[in-house]
Amino acid sequence: MKQQDIKTEEKLMSQNAWFSVFMGITLLIISGYPIIGNTSAPLLILGSAAFLGSFLMFVIRGGFTWRMKYHLTYKDEYLNTIDTIAYKHVVLALLFSMGTVYLFSEGLTLHISHSMMATFYLAIMCLAYGISIFWQSRD
Amino acid sequence: MQNHIAEFRKKAGLSQQELADAINVSRKTISTVETSRFTPSVTIALKIARQFNTTVELLFTLEEVD
Repeated sequence: MKQQDIKTEEKLMSQNAWFSVFMGITLLIISGYPIIGNTSAPLLILGSAAFLGSFLMFVIRGGFTWRMKYHLTYKDEYLNTIDTIAYKHVVLALLFSMGTVYLFSEGLTLHISHSMMATFYLAIMCLAYGISIFWQSRD
Repeated sequence: MQNHIAEFRKKAGLSQQELADAINVSRKTISTVETSRFTPSVTIALKIARQFNTTVELLFTLEEVD
């Protein structure tokens, strides 16, 4: 494996982590706003725009092309390890958030739809992945 | 498990990136192995040892708790 490949992988992982955090925050806003404002339309548009904007920014900054292949694992040992651990953190965060929702669901059921909850869980998953990668990547 | 990679690396006048380039791993791998946050595979341990013309036993030492 060439050193250039490893540097590309490091760059890709960093972009993935930033992207996950951005997407997580966007989804969190989309899922949380209707509780306060009783309508999701304006923020849904704003959230979608922010999401697309961040996506395009990272596509451009990362220099990704349509030819870029998607790999399920990283070839570099350390990157692969922290990626696997990040997925474990995602599962734990999901279980924890589902447990919390289960415990406090009685008061929420009238105001929150299934789509909002699904968006909330996705947001938690994205945030957990991004934060976990950043936390594990510290020097 | 303790290791003496940083000492060997500094003695050889190499930066973390240069050592990473020499054995084809990411700089993060070297950084986290040096601080004992990540235990490398036998392959990487052998590559590092070969880079410094030494043995794995001299690079890594087991502690009481291991």
